[in-house]
Amino acid sequence: MAESLYKENKVIEDISAKFKVAGKVQRERRVWVTVDKDNLIMLCNFVKGLGFEHLSAISVTDWPEEGTFELTYHLWSYSEKILLTIKTKLDRTEPIVNSVISIWGENAQIHERELHELFGVEFEGNEDLTPLFLEDWDGPPPFKKDFDWKEYVRQQCYDQANERERAYYD
Amino acid sequence: MIKQMNEKELITIEHIEPIIPEDTDYNFYFGPAHSGSGNFGVKLRIDGEKVTSARADPGYLHRGFEKLMEYRVPMQNAVLSDRVCILEALNWNLVHAEAVDELTGVEVPQRARYIRVLMAELSRLQSHLIWYGVMSLALGFDTGFKMAFGYRDYILDIFELITGGRVYPAGYICPGGVRRDLPDGSEDKIKRVLDQTEEMMQKMKDFDNIVFSRRTKGVGILRTEDAIRLGATGPVLRACGVETDVRKDDPYEIYDELDFDIPVRREGDAYARCLIRGREMEESIKIIKQVLERLPEGKVREPAKITPPSRVKIPEGEVYVRNELARGEGCVYMRSVGEGEPYRVKLRGPDFLHMIPVLEHLLKGSQIADIPAIYWSLNICPADMDR
Repeated sequence: MAESLYKENKVIEDISAKFKVAGKVQRERRVWVTVDKDNLIMLCNFVKGLGFEHLSAISVTDWPEEGTFELTYHLWSYSEKILLTIKTKLDRTEPIVNSVISIWGENAQIHERELHELFGVEFEGNEDLTPLFLEDWDGPPPFKKDFDWKEYVRQQCYDQANERERAYYD
Repeated sequence: MIKQMNEKELITIEHIEPIIPEDTDYNFYFGPAHSGSGNFGVKLRIDGEKVTSARADPGYLHRGFEKLMEYRVPMQNAVLSDRVCILEALNWNLVHAEAVDELTGVEVPQRARYIRVLMAELSRLQSHLIWYGVMSLALGFDTGFKMAFGYRDYILDIFELITGGRVYPAGYICPGGVRRDLPDGSEDKIKRVLDQTEEMMQKMKDFDNIVFSRRTKGVGILRTEDAIRLGATGPVLRACGVETDVRKDDPYEIYDELDFDIPVRREGDAYARCLIRGREMEESIKIIKQVLERLPEGKVREPAKITPPSRVKIPEGEVYVRNELARGEGCVYMRSVGEGEPYRVKLRGPDFLHMIPVLEHLLKGSQIADIPAIYWSLNICPADMDR
């Protein structure tokens, strides 16, 4: 098995030669690296040069206890046939990160716009972060862990004084 | 009776000033209440007949599945995953189930893997038939629409027989395998439906010259480098000359054991995208025939008995699973912290990018009459974009 993962290990080696990263090969065609926020853009530029030209998705995981947002960039290389995930952490109280539009274009733009709306992450350099899905929403970003959806729906949609809807408050 | 005009009248006609409107610029809304747009709108700026700018207006179907899944256990999420895209529910079932399987490390029984692929390909066939239907409708060819939906119903009959649901299989492809084994006689029925689908495909080929080619050739051309930059995947990308298919490049289930081709074209226009889908249907039929031939005996789920949800925990970890859906690349990023429910689920649907950046890019500079052809040549599904 170790020999068949040559391609995957090579990606980590190439990246480690230039950047200080923690990397692991999860399985065939799956490579994960963690980098700090300051080196993110440089690393993204570098891996695009390695052939990771398809930005499959960007995702945010919220860790309220830790006080961080974890950003994951999922990249696919059409030539190497490897999925590389770049992870980085942001301060939850000041979630600002540089945009990757200059690297992956409109594709990145739309992903960042979605995450800004749902998690409240600011992407510096992305000029169009207008709301995408939620019309007339003025509450907190709804996908954050500390936003209690169930409670919100209860307050908004069910009337405690109404006999039929009281059950939702029990 | 034709009145002979005298000289005086002729002179007055010559002196009528032709009406030239000063302002030919106007806003035009395509959707969300348009019969051919789905629950989705595009705000267009038009100058005369030409689209000068386009801005997608999504959000009419946003249900927040990613958040809902954080409150539910995988077996419940399997049911929820159907609803991500109405038009290819089984394919989304499969992506979700694979993500959970990879986290739990369950060895899915071989028979279940075959059934999963069988169902996913049948789902792809019916999804392409829907696309053919709405594409015909968009081009003003109602016969094609009715025929495609009629033939699609034969496949839905199979879904009803196997999963119990015609459109939503209620989490038939679930973590660990599939919910039930194939009922007796279903293989013969599937073969019969394949024959019927082939019949429909022959009709699609016959219709080709009269409608499809004239309305779609040279329309909505997407260049390869733009396609990659805008995040196009699946048939849209393959129509631009990129030979890529998740089933081949990043194989899952039993796709690496099966023999099928990836259709590729270089033109990048709406017509190429249509032809690619037609060829893909042929390949899907080829796959289903192979699966039926080789279908092994055995269990269909591991563990065979369903454990009460409260006792099942997803081991800590994170995975990113990619699948080839009928519309393009569908992915699930799942993060677990060792609880019953996943900590974070990210659903990456192909239409999020096809309907916003790709569509905006293609519509800009196109003619107003070509909008439906471009729109449906991308085979879009608002449900999967909004999630």
